[in-house]
Amino acid sequence: MSEHQHIDHDALAELRDVMEDEFVILVNTFLQDADDRLEQLRAGAASEDAEEVRKMAHSFKGSCINIGAPELAERCRTAEQRGRYGDLSDIHDCISAIEAELGAVRQELAHFRDG
Amino acid sequence: MSITTERSGDGSELTIRIEGRFDFSSHQAFRHAYEGEGQGVSRYVIDMRDTTYLDSSALGMLLLLRDYAGGEKADVRIINCNGDVRRILTVSNFEQLFQIDD
Amino acid sequence: MTTDAGSVTPLRILIADDNQTDRMILNAILTRQGHEVIMAEDGAQAVEAFEQQRPQMVLLDVLMPNMDGLEAARRIKAAAGEDLVPIIFLTSLSDAESLASCLEVGGDDFLSKPYNRVILRAKINAFQRMRDLHQSLQQERDRTDQRNRQMMREQALARRVFDNIADRGCLGADNIRFEASPMSIFNGDVLFASPKPSGGMHLFVGDFTGHGLPAAIGALPMSEIFYGMTAKGFAIGDILKEINRKLCNILPTGFFCCAAMVDLNLRSGHAEVWNGGLPTAWILRHDGTRDELRSRHLPLGILSAERFSAACERHTLALGEHMLLATDGVIESSNREGELFGEERAIAAINQRSGPHGGFECLREAVHRFGEGVVSEDDITILDLAMVPESALNTVEHEVLPDTGAGPEQWRLQYDLEDRTLARFNPVPLLLHVCMDVPGLRLCSGDVYTIIAELFTNALEHGVLRLPSGLKDSPSGFSRYYSERERLLGQLASGWVSITLSHRPHDDGAGGTLLVTVADSGPGFDPGETASSLDHERLSGRGIALVQTLCHDVRWNSTGNRVEAEYIWRAG
Repeated sequence: MSEHQHIDHDALAELRDVMEDEFVILVNTFLQDADDRLEQLRAGAASEDAEEVRKMAHSFKGSCINIGAPELAERCRTAEQRGRYGDLSDIHDCISAIEAELGAVRQELAHFRDG
Repeated sequence: MSITTERSGDGSELTIRIEGRFDFSSHQAFRHAYEGEGQGVSRYVIDMRDTTYLDSSALGMLLLLRDYAGGEKADVRIINCNGDVRRILTVSNFEQLFQIDD
Repeated sequence: MTTDAGSVTPLRILIADDNQTDRMILNAILTRQGHEVIMAEDGAQAVEAFEQQRPQMVLLDVLMPNMDGLEAARRIKAAAGEDLVPIIFLTSLSDAESLASCLEVGGDDFLSKPYNRVILRAKINAFQRMRDLHQSLQQERDRTDQRNRQMMREQALARRVFDNIADRGCLGADNIRFEASPMSIFNGDVLFASPKPSGGMHLFVGDFTGHGLPAAIGALPMSEIFYGMTAKGFAIGDILKEINRKLCNILPTGFFCCAAMVDLNLRSGHAEVWNGGLPTAWILRHDGTRDELRSRHLPLGILSAERFSAACERHTLALGEHMLLATDGVIESSNREGELFGEERAIAAINQRSGPHGGFECLREAVHRFGEGVVSEDDITILDLAMVPESALNTVEHEVLPDTGAGPEQWRLQYDLEDRTLARFNPVPLLLHVCMDVPGLRLCSGDVYTIIAELFTNALEHGVLRLPSGLKDSPSGFSRYYSERERLLGQLASGWVSITLSHRPHDDGAGGTLLVTVADSGPGFDPGETASSLDHERLSGRGIALVQTLCHDVRWNSTGNRVEAEYIWRAG
């Protein structure tokens, strides 16, 4: 996978195969869910609640792996580790990195979904 | 009736064990037991612990073995005889020809 | 919606994950594989859904709000009770610590992201097989419980029958002490003792594999053979062979009887001992030492008659010396800590003996002390025999000897063999068997065998087949003689041998006379000419000389085809 690729096309094709008609709903659900997670991550970071950050990042990471967005999952993992070790010093940078990658993933997913 | 053999560690002694009735029907098996062993056997032990009876042809077979093992110079021991077997050997004067241990 | 080919029996599966995307994917995979899916969004919902809908399998996320996956798993396992409900944790395998806690709460497997339908199907199939096995085991267990109750009832019945039939023999004799503690209703151990017609006694200690049924099947014929043959004067080896043969016939493969048998000869102070599979027994000497009587044979009921050996060890016991035998329930009995009693403790206990407090008492007390408060798992049998003067037991022997003298003492039997039967059948074992029914004559079985066998062989080989005895004078002739014998027997078309046996007891009751007459269809020979001899090393011609030595008188008729041998025997 090149560094420009934000989603794993093979994994996503497999998922489309599994989900059949529900694939579109799944992608939309993921994107909706991702926005919610991002919001909750920010709230956790703002209140300096490391445990909340960890849980949100962990759950977000899981769905990223399943949907075939490895780079986004990796960035969630970084945030999850910050939460686990209670070190929120650069958490805002981490969340921004997630947000940036999510934007790219959203574009590619939409393209895949509608193509 | 069954006949089994066993060679000592150095191969010089052959033990032939006879189970059941030792009679004419054993003559081939008994002969094979010592003739089939090849060279190197200098002492023979006939183990009768499981021999129930023996008849006169068995006595003949014992003499054949003695002959095979060197006649007068043969080293053949008969061991573990029960009372009936021992009596036949005694009555036949085999003590003069074989070393018989109880 | 399509269904994946090859899906197995549908299951009801609970998915608990707080992440909607993950739930959707799992739901899609499982539904398409034909399963019914229940979904929960957190731990609390999962437990509730499990209790209400009893799914057969659960997929649980670890990190969930409102009760995490670990706690939910614990509660679900508890609620499942005896049913096997596999729990698969949805977690990445990278976190060793969380894996350990998943296993601790009863997790059965893991599924990592991204979810793969092939792997998930394989895991579900594996669990389904496990579930099926678990279920059939449970059903089997319930059936077994029921059968077991029925078997106990049947065993209790068998026990009553056995107690009614089985002879207690001379277990009450003054020189015998024993301890028998049955664990099951039908004791897996057997203990027999019987006086011999010629004096002394036979004793038998046996331990059947398992309890109950195998022992119930085997014990009855075993007791009949033991008491019946002992009363008729059969030797220890014959009795062991017969018991072994019988057990081989009736016991299923894998069932057998560890046993030891003792022929106690009070007159000569000897004991012949056969030990097949029982723990080492001991002779306790006056000087405080002990001799070991190790197991030298396989247990009874395993080896075919051809391979079975009844060879005994002979030991001498001084008056007042004891022999101690025990089944393995003794050395294998355990205490509260689960330790085994063991041979070392047994020997230590026996070594404590002094004066009237003998090895038997010491061993018995030590075993009981050791196993105090523990329910015995195995039958325990200990037998103690003392060498005593024969006179000390007279009363006991007479009480329990109803069979002595019951055999035929005065009789005559003619047995004719003709033509092809003569070629094929050896009548000697049968005739010997008839003679052995004469009370007391068994002790002379070797002589009787030799007389009948030699006279029959002589009539057949030299009379009917006309084989020249001289042929056997060289080693090669010896073989030629027997191949010639075989050839002639093969083409034997006519001929006969007639054997007549008659027996009468002596007036004093201590012996009798056996008359053996053998006639044949041959032309006869001159007994003087073929006079056989035992004096030199001829390979042949010994048979008749043997008979002449054993018998009081041997007479031929004038033609030499009929011989009459008179054998006089005395009991003891």
